[in-house]
Amino acid sequence: MTNSLEKELLTYREKLPELKDQEGKFVLIQGDTVVNVYDTYADALKEGYDKFGVSPFLVKKIEAIEQVQYITRPLVFPCPT
Amino acid sequence: MPHLTLQISPGGPLVDVLVTASEERREALRRVGQPIPQPIQVRALIDTGASCTCVDPAVLRGLGLTPTGSTPIHTPSTGGALHNAEQYDVCIIFRNPEISLELPTVPVVAAELQVQGIQALLGRDVLTTCLLVYNGQRGFFTLAY
Repeated sequence: MTNSLEKELLTYREKLPELKDQEGKFVLIQGDTVVNVYDTYADALKEGYDKFGVSPFLVKKIEAIEQVQYITRPLVFPCPT
Repeated sequence: MPHLTLQISPGGPLVDVLVTASEERREALRRVGQPIPQPIQVRALIDTGASCTCVDPAVLRGLGLTPTGSTPIHTPSTGGALHNAEQYDVCIIFRNPEISLELPTVPVVAAELQVQGIQALLGRDVLTTCLLVYNGQRGFFTLAY
């Protein structure tokens, strides 16, 4: 079901210092390439699908301190493949 | 204001919604001539204890989705550690005699929920644009957009 976005996440972490002045916006990354930064999640996603079709890409909110999601019930997460 | 009112079940405030690929993904599939997945009906729990919306992986698999995001997540089952969960972009549709509402692009986390008798948690990210009334005394809840 899944494609690992490990490479894209590594690129995000590497490029974060350069992206910090655009905090709150959304970055589109494929492989080791930062494609662009967008105002909204939907805009970044649209550009990702326009450029890469259904090939893997990452859309990530730019945050110096990453916001953690909290869920109060126990959950099991599927293993990435 | 469009709204729906449902009884609170023993499992909590449950609502049936349709989940399909996001508008952006459906457009991409259309362009390359690939089939558009049919929406899947899921039973969702409205969960104010969830900061984000979660969908069972079997549903995401049924829609042929691949992840487009990742987010750190903390639950009682992750202990003191954070888990980096994959995110998928979906469209969530409320279709009911009382309401017809489409949320075209929602990032959701894949989490095994089927064992809990539901296939989705509607978290505060989805609730942020609505009014939720939980009337425990009368045994119903209302969701208004």
